[in-house]
Amino acid sequence: MLEVSNLYVGYYKDLHILQGVSLRAREAQITAVLGPNGVGKSTLLKAIFGFVKPDQGQIRLQDRDIMGTRAHQLVNLGVSYIAQRQSVFPNMTVEENMELGGWSFRRDRARVRQRIEANYERFPILRERCHSPSGQLSGGMQRMVELGRALMTEPKLLLVDEPTAGLAVIPAREVYRLLVRLKEEGITILLVDQNIRQAINIADYVFVLELGRNRLEGPRDEFSDLKKTLWL
Amino acid sequence: MSYFWSLGATGVTMGVLYALMALGLTLIFSILRVINFAHGEFYMLGGYASYFILNAFTGLHPLLVIPLAGLATALLGLVFELAFLRPMHQGRIERPDEYAVLITFGLSFFLLNLALALFGPYPHRPPSFFEGTIDLGIVRLSADRLTASVMALILLGLLLLLINRTWLGKALRAVSQDKQAAAVVGINSLVMNSAAFAMGAGLAAMAGALLAPSFFVTPDVGAVPSIRSYVIIVLGGMGSIQGSILGGLLIGLVESLGVGYFPDPSRALNYKTAFGLVIFALVLLFRPRGLFGRKEA
Repeated sequence: MLEVSNLYVGYYKDLHILQGVSLRAREAQITAVLGPNGVGKSTLLKAIFGFVKPDQGQIRLQDRDIMGTRAHQLVNLGVSYIAQRQSVFPNMTVEENMELGGWSFRRDRARVRQRIEANYERFPILRERCHSPSGQLSGGMQRMVELGRALMTEPKLLLVDEPTAGLAVIPAREVYRLLVRLKEEGITILLVDQNIRQAINIADYVFVLELGRNRLEGPRDEFSDLKKTLWL
Repeated sequence: MSYFWSLGATGVTMGVLYALMALGLTLIFSILRVINFAHGEFYMLGGYASYFILNAFTGLHPLLVIPLAGLATALLGLVFELAFLRPMHQGRIERPDEYAVLITFGLSFFLLNLALALFGPYPHRPPSFFEGTIDLGIVRLSADRLTASVMALILLGLLLLLINRTWLGKALRAVSQDKQAAAVVGINSLVMNSAAFAMGAGLAAMAGALLAPSFFVTPDVGAVPSIRSYVIIVLGGMGSIQGSILGGLLIGLVESLGVGYFPDPSRALNYKTAFGLVIFALVLLFRPRGLFGRKEA
């Protein structure tokens, strides 16, 4: 589905955060990218999603070169992105946030409506709060709004950056459960996380980065022995 | 008491025009994060545009020219945005904050002096919308001033409708609240930048065109209105739409009441702008974010 090879990304000249990272995300699997703080995990997602321009390397989505494609165009290619920080439109209602998720097919009113309804079925609590300004919701509910908004376009590939950072234990568990369900529905997920134990639990395949380079990779089972990964 | 009400009514009729102009500035600031220092010149161009369009097509009713003047100036704003501001938002300019100040200041100087060279320093006056005065019961206003206010009110209403009800409006709000999230849902913020700048320029121009028959047009006619707009958007809270509207009305009222109640009537009018600044200072003293300001994220 997604293939990244030998990616170099930096914010300043010659100072590369990512120094030749390669990875694959297989269709309908959860691929986790792990590693300590500052190792370039978020930068990797931003580079894939076109927020940061890579200096070198290749990014291919289903055999199509998407390097340098700008973020707002990737939506039409079936990619969506969930940022680490809160990213709801805070002064807009839950429903307006969802509507905007359907921006790329806004002329198809019926489809927008139908996708919003699908979201309300997935997150019944959002239906109750549909007219509340999103910025006033709890952190967990804001995450639901963000996920719902991302699902409006029925993406094939979901890039998720630290989905449970700042969430309490129970909402965090909900988020992981939801990611597994989305995978079962056929969505490919590339998950960047610092919550190593949880991420390994739901992942099918794991990549570990260290200082901007690949360090380890393998199917989940190889990482199930937590002791082996504690050196992280 | 009736004196008070008549001053109030005068203040409100000016306030809606202040609000219209300030709203343009707010739109530009909240989407592009740029303070448009050429806003007064867009106001000035609106006045000239209506004058010259009416000279060229004498059969047109002066009111019909308002949207045309707005459109012409919006187009100019669009061209400027594409040529000079878009490169900045594409990250092709090294020091974007300083650049934005200088480039809009540069546009202001350029337009001011261009108008001076082309049209001369003498005041031009487009024909009246309607002759005579209208008695509202509490106050007697010239038909021109009243028409300008009513039109401004209609334009404000249309703009609010656009911002709250249409896809374009929602996308503009989305970009103003979170540019990155807007890109994630597929909104091209560069397009929204252009749209917002053109609309902001058009709004200033329509305010200028509406007031041109009452106050005449000179190259520097935009100076005071533009400063007043900066005061209003800070007063209302940077980037807030309700704030600009309320701020505009408030400044209009305070100016009118201040002039009306100043003990020395022979000097009162000279202090007109100062009365607004008093309220401005008071609001900032007790509410530094402005009336509707949000905390910066």
